Amino acid sequence: MDKVRKNKTAIILFMLPAVVLFAGIIIVPIFMSGYFSLFKWDGMTEGAFIGLGNYVELFTSKTSGFPKTVQNALLLAVLSVFVQLPISLGLALLLAKGVKGEKFFMAVFFVPVLISTVVIGQLWMKIYNPQYGIINTALHAMGLGAYARTWLGEQETALFAVFVPILWQYVGYHMLLLYAGIKAIPTELKEAARIDGATEGQISRFVLIPMLKPVIRICVIFAVTGSLKAFDLIYVLTGGGPAHASEVPSTLMVSMIFGRNRYGFGSSIAMFIIFLCFFFAISIKKMFKTEVE
Amino acid sequence: METAKGKRTKKTLLYAVLGFWAVVNIFPIYWMITFSLKSNAEIFGENIIGLPKEWIWSNYSAALTTGNMGLYFFNSFIVTGTTIALTSIVSLMATYALTRLVWKGSKMVNNMFMLGLTVPIHAAILPVFILLRNLKMTNSYQALIIPYTAFALAMAIMICGSFIENIPRELEEAACIDGASVYGIFFRIILPLMKPALATIAIFTFLQAWNELMFAVIFISDSKFRTLTVGIQTLSGSYTTEWGPIGAALVIATLPTLVLYAVMSGKIQKSLMAGAVKG
Amino acid sequence: MKRKLIGMALALVLAMGTLAGCGSKTETAEGNAGTAKGDTALTLWSIATESDSFNRAYTQAIADFEAANPGVKVVHETFENESYKTKIKSAVAANELPDLFYTWGGGFSKAFVESGKVLAIDGYFTDEYKAELPQAALSYATYDGKLYGSTYTTPVSALFYNRKMFEENGIPVPTTWDEWMAANRAFLDKGITPIGVSVKDTWVLAMTHDALTLKSAGPEKVAAALTEGSQSYDDPDFLASAGKIKELVDMGAFISGATGLSNDEASALFYNGTVPMYLSGSWMGGSIVTDAPNPEDFDVIPVPVLSGNAQSTDFMGGAVDTLMVAAGTKNPDLAGKAVFELTRGISKYAYLDGAGIAAWEKNYDESGINPITKKLADYAAEATSFTMWFDTLMDADDAGEYLALLQGLYVGNISPEEFVKAMAAQLDK
Repeated sequence: MDKVRKNKTAIILFMLPAVVLFAGIIIVPIFMSGYFSLFKWDGMTEGAFIGLGNYVELFTSKTSGFPKTVQNALLLAVLSVFVQLPISLGLALLLAKGVKGEKFFMAVFFVPVLISTVVIGQLWMKIYNPQYGIINTALHAMGLGAYARTWLGEQETALFAVFVPILWQYVGYHMLLLYAGIKAIPTELKEAARIDGATEGQISRFVLIPMLKPVIRICVIFAVTGSLKAFDLIYVLTGGGPAHASEVPSTLMVSMIFGRNRYGFGSSIAMFIIFLCFFFAISIKKMFKTEVE
Repeated sequence: METAKGKRTKKTLLYAVLGFWAVVNIFPIYWMITFSLKSNAEIFGENIIGLPKEWIWSNYSAALTTGNMGLYFFNSFIVTGTTIALTSIVSLMATYALTRLVWKGSKMVNNMFMLGLTVPIHAAILPVFILLRNLKMTNSYQALIIPYTAFALAMAIMICGSFIENIPRELEEAACIDGASVYGIFFRIILPLMKPALATIAIFTFLQAWNELMFAVIFISDSKFRTLTVGIQTLSGSYTTEWGPIGAALVIATLPTLVLYAVMSGKIQKSLMAGAVKG
Repeated sequence: MKRKLIGMALALVLAMGTLAGCGSKTETAEGNAGTAKGDTALTLWSIATESDSFNRAYTQAIADFEAANPGVKVVHETFENESYKTKIKSAVAANELPDLFYTWGGGFSKAFVESGKVLAIDGYFTDEYKAELPQAALSYATYDGKLYGSTYTTPVSALFYNRKMFEENGIPVPTTWDEWMAANRAFLDKGITPIGVSVKDTWVLAMTHDALTLKSAGPEKVAAALTEGSQSYDDPDFLASAGKIKELVDMGAFISGATGLSNDEASALFYNGTVPMYLSGSWMGGSIVTDAPNPEDFDVIPVPVLSGNAQSTDFMGGAVDTLMVAAGTKNPDLAGKAVFELTRGISKYAYLDGAGIAAWEKNYDESGINPITKKLADYAAEATSFTMWFDTLMDADDAGEYLALLQGLYVGNISPEEFVKAMAAQLDK
C-alpha cells in the first residue's frame, strides 16, 4: 500500500490539472495585484512607483474610510458565524431527523440561494422602500408609524438593513452542506446512542455535532471568507452608502478600481482582503484541528 | 398523557417554525413570478406584493424576442455544464492526491488551495483578462469555463476533503491487496463512494457559474458567446428600464435552476443513503 | 500493468482536457465572425441595448451606413450601462478595444486618450461634416487640441414638472429662485412633497446641485474651478448652491427617503403624480411619454437663476455621448469615416424618435416629435452656454469624491462650508 500511496507519477497526474488552473487563474492575479498595489496607477496610462504609499493611505486617509469598511466586514463575519450558522445547523438537524415533508422543506429552504441576486435585491428594495415598503406599511398598520424609517438610506440602519438579506439568503447554503454531512454519518451510530437511552437532543449534541466537525469547519470558513468578500447585494441595495455607512472593503475596492480609476490603491485593498481571508481560513482550520486532536 | 400532550404541542410548534420559514423562503418565487407580469407603475408603488392587476403576458414575449435569449441560454448551459464536469473531476483527483497519497508538501499545497477563497473577483478581472488575451482565448466558451473552474476549485476541494474523511482507508488497502493499482483504487473505489460530494459540488458550482456576471461581461464581447446573465442585463436601458420583461427573463433563467436542484437534491439523498449502507 | 496504463491514459486525457482550451477556437477571437469573405467588418460597442431608447437610431444609422458602403458590415454589440463602464476600462487596459466604441466624453475618457489607445480623427472631420456639426458640440471629445470622437446628442438638464398638479393647487410655475422656493412652500403647505430626487443614485442629486451651482456661479467660473484650476472651489458662489441644497433638504422639499431610493423608484413617483417636480436630463422627455399615465400633464422649464453670474439660457449638459475609434483598428480610414456617418445618422433618428436632442443640424421634418422633447431641443438651440455635468467633467477620482461629499452634505454629515472646503482640497490634489 505504501508503494501505491507514494506513486510519483500518479501524484503528478492527479495534481497537474488543478495546479495549472490554480496557478494561472488564482496565483498569478494575486501576484499582479501585489505588484499593482505598489503603484499610483489608473489602470491605463503609465503608473508611478510609490512603494507602500497606497498601504499608508489605506490606514491613514480619513476620506477613504478603509478601517471602517474592515470593521463592517468583520461584523458581518461575526453575525454570519454566530447567527446564520446556528440557524442553518438547527434546520439541518431538524430535517435530517426525518420530519414529515423533509424533501419539501429541503427544497424550499434552499430557494433563496437559487434565486438571482438581481431578484433578491429588487425584492428587498421593495421590503425596505420608505414610501410603500412592506416594513413601513406594516409598522403604520400596527400604529407604530413612529418607527418607520428609510431603512437603506439612514446611516444608523443601512448597515444592518443590508446584512439581514445577506444572512437570510445563505442560510439555505450552509444548511444543505450540513444536511449532507449529517446524512453521511452512519445511522448505526445514532441507533447505538438511542439504544443507550440518549434523547434526540443528546444525540445531536454528543453524536452528530462532533461527527460534523469537518463540515462545520468548512461552513465557518465559507461564512467568514464570504463575509469578508461580500459585494453583490450591498452594491445593489445601497452601493455602500449613504455617505459610506454600509461600505465594505469590496465595494470600496470596486469603486476605487473601476469608478475612480485608482487601480493601484484598489489593488492594495484587494491585497488586504486576500490577506484577511487567508489568515482567517488558516486560523479556523487550525482551531478546529487542535480541538479534534 | 401529560407527555403525549407535551409532545403534540412540541410537534405543532416545530411545524409552525418550519412552515413560517418555508413561507419566508418561498416568497421570492411568488414575488418574482408576479413581478414578471406587471408594469413599472405596479412594480414601483401601486401594487408591490399583490397579484398583478393587469396580467402582462407580453413581458414574456418581450424577454424572449429581445436579444437572443435562446442562444444565451444555450451558452450558459454549455459553460455551466462544462464547468461543473471539470470542477468535479479536477477537484476529486486533487483531493485524492492531497489526502490519500503520501508526498512532501501535500499539507502546504492543501492550504495554498484555500487562497482560492480569498481572491475578490473584481481584483482578478484585469489579470485574468490579460492572461486570456495572451492565450488568444477571449470571446470563447473557455474564456469563462477556465476561470469559473479555477475559482470553484478551492470550494470543491474543501468539500471533497470533508467527505473523503468518511471513506475508510481499509477499503483502499483491501483493494490494493487484491492487486488494484492507484488508478484502479481511485476510479473504482473512491469515485463511486464520493457521489454525494459530487452532487453537492455540482450544485454549488452550478450556482457560481450560472449567476456569474462580471467575468461574463468583460471576457465575452461577441454576442455569439454571451451568457444568460449578461443577456438579461441588457434588457435594461441606460436611463429607464422596463422591469417587467427583466422579471420574465429571470423567471425563465431561474426555472431550470429550480428543476435541476429538485432533481439533484433527490440524488443527494439517494446516494447518501447508499453511501451510509455501504459505509 | 495494463490496468495501470489505462488509468494513466485516463488521467492524462483529463489533464489535457483542462489545457485544450489553449488551442481551439481562437479563430473566432475577433468580432468579425459571421461575415462573408471579402467583407470588411467594423465592430461597434455601445450601451444602446435593445431596450434602450437609442437602439432604433443605432440600428437605422448602421443600416444606412452599410447601404452607402457596400462590402462593409458593422457588428453592433450592446452592453448594460453600469457594467459597460467596467468593461470599457478593462478593454483599454488590456488593449482589447473594438474598432468603434461608445464612451463618455470629458473626464471619463481622458485616461483612454492619454494611454494612446484612441485614434485622433481630425483628419477625417471633413468640411462636409464641419458644416453640419457645430464645433462646440465636440468640446468634450477634444483633448489637447485634438479631436478623438464624434457625438450625436446634446442632452440638457431642466426642471420637469407636472402642470396639472400646479394648476390644481393654484401654484404658479416658477421662473426665479424665489418663486421656486415659494412654490415649494405652497406645495408643502398642501401636504405635497415638491421635488423628487434620488440620493442613492447620487448622479440625480448631483444634477440638481450642478444646475444650482451653474445658476449661481455662472459657466466661466465653474469651468475655471473644475477644469482649469484657476479658481478655488472655496468661493461664496459655490457655497451658495451647496447652501441651497441644504435649505431644500431642511425645509423637506425633497422626497422623504431619497437616500434609500434609486432613480427608477424616485422617478416613478414623479410619473405617477406623487411629486410635482423632478430635475433631470432631457431623456426624461422620452420617458414621460412611455412611463407616465398622462404624458400631456407634464411640461418642462429651465432651472431658475440664482445670481447675476448666470442667465436662464445657460444650461447644464452638452454632448457627452461619444463614439471613438480605437488606435489599434485595422481599418482606420473606414472607421474614421464611420464615426461621423454613424453619429450623424444616430443624431437624426434618435431625435425623430424623441430619444434625444440632435447634435447635428436638423435638415429634415421635425413636426412629429413629442412637445417636451421639441421644447428641450429649442432650449438647446438657443443656449448661450453648455456646462458638462460635474461628475463627467471632472476626472474620475474627483468625480467619485464629489458624489461622496454630496451624499455627506445631503444627510447632514458635513456643512455647506465643509463641503466647499473639501471640494477645494480634492481639486487641488
